Amino acid sequence: MKHLLAATALLAATAICATAQDLPDLEGREVVIVTENAYPPLQFVDPATGDAIGWEYDAMAEIAERLNMAVTYQNISWDAMIPAVSEGQYDMGMTGITIREDRAELVDFSDPYMVSQMRMLVRADETRFDDAEGFAADEELLLGTQAGITPFYVGVYEVLDGDEANPRIVLLETIPAAVQALLSDDVDMVLSDSAGGEAYVNANPDRLKLVGAPLGTEEFGFIFPKGSDLVAPVNAAIAAMRADGTLDMLDQRWFVDYSLGQ
Amino acid sequence: MLGLGAYALWQVLTDAVYLQVLDTLRRGVLITIFVTLVGFALAASLGLLLALASLSRHLILRQMARFYIEIIRGIPIIVLLLYVAFVFAPALVAGYNGLAEMAGVEAIRTRDFPLLWRAIIALAIGYSAFIAEVFRAGLQSIDRGQIEAAEALGLNRWNRFRHIIFPQAIRTILPPLGNDFVAMVKDSSLVSVLGVLDITQLGKVTAASNFRYFETYNVVALIYLTMTITLSILLRRLEQRMRQSQDR
Repeated sequence: MKHLLAATALLAATAICATAQDLPDLEGREVVIVTENAYPPLQFVDPATGDAIGWEYDAMAEIAERLNMAVTYQNISWDAMIPAVSEGQYDMGMTGITIREDRAELVDFSDPYMVSQMRMLVRADETRFDDAEGFAADEELLLGTQAGITPFYVGVYEVLDGDEANPRIVLLETIPAAVQALLSDDVDMVLSDSAGGEAYVNANPDRLKLVGAPLGTEEFGFIFPKGSDLVAPVNAAIAAMRADGTLDMLDQRWFVDYSLGQ
Repeated sequence: MLGLGAYALWQVLTDAVYLQVLDTLRRGVLITIFVTLVGFALAASLGLLLALASLSRHLILRQMARFYIEIIRGIPIIVLLLYVAFVFAPALVAGYNGLAEMAGVEAIRTRDFPLLWRAIIALAIGYSAFIAEVFRAGLQSIDRGQIEAAEALGLNRWNRFRHIIFPQAIRTILPPLGNDFVAMVKDSSLVSVLGVLDITQLGKVTAASNFRYFETYNVVALIYLTMTITLSILLRRLEQRMRQSQDR
């Protein structure tokens, strides 16, 4: 771990030297970012310290440093996030937001900083189904999810019958709450992107597993009010971080090395 | 006030977005009413038992009732909801299954205890403590002489309660009980955290897919206001009528 950190620091240092000249300087501009903190390991509250941490926080700290901006964070629930950013109440939103056309009518998206595939998260002792067809065929089986998020839409349109009011869907407040409902046998399956899903399985290897082939691919982007002048510099920073391996390093740190709930 | 309400209603009924939201939220009204009515009936029954226990001659019973009331009154309703749903209910099911296994009865699953009922039970537990205090105050407001007179007439405990105590206590009890009922209509919105499809949850679901936060929550607020203001007016009339019958 120590070696890894040293290597990362070195990598980051060389990266900054190499790219500082070509990135715009925002001269310490204050940027207010809103998150939900309900999407481990992208952004969540560390149970040990109470601090909000995750892949996105690290990425944003790096972006802020490279662009010379001062970021502060605020919290909001998911259903309010897109309207609030759209109205310009915040400068940016970050919470593993899938880039979708209907959302792009209200907000501007950054370029994707992460590609993720949807997987089926089930209890470790699940034997009744191991793919989406098997899940859809058995009327007994319930899907736990949160309203208005990509796993909800994938569940409705790609796994079930396209009825958003299907009684087999149990809507909970957040995905962690849906995972809790899965563990307590209230639902039988939770759709999660592979990143989050693997984190849950690593945290509860004897209670959870991922099954089935990936269901569709999604790209995550930061959101901004329409016409924001932050989009271009943030995109430049994302491109630089992809080129110099910083994004890969963050993937390694949060999806491989970090384990939830330890 | 009325003019403002009429204007808001007119706005809602002539706007396409509002109408669409209203149409979606309609389904939640019945759930909200069901949760409130059933929850309140349970809370009132439990509250009455608690009030009687807290006025009982037996010290143990009194202490147990006081302990329950103090503990429950100090816990926020939303915490009770989450606790009942995700801690208490699975534990209860596990406990039942342990007994069922010994008795050779069919085991049940956590989901056989629907989230709707967990929400109702949590609301009932939370409100039973408040209602118990209302009942206790009402029962204690009765003049000792009334009870002594009833005893002198040879009425047994049940008849004393039914004919002498309850009819007099209800006058003291009704206004705060009515307030608790209106408060429960509003607090029933908390069941949305358990995914129960009440007005609030449908509002959240709608806002998450149409991104029209302002309009959606205007409709949500308007529906609740319609219910609470109607209830308040009815309660005021009922209280007036009781006062008139008392004055005669």
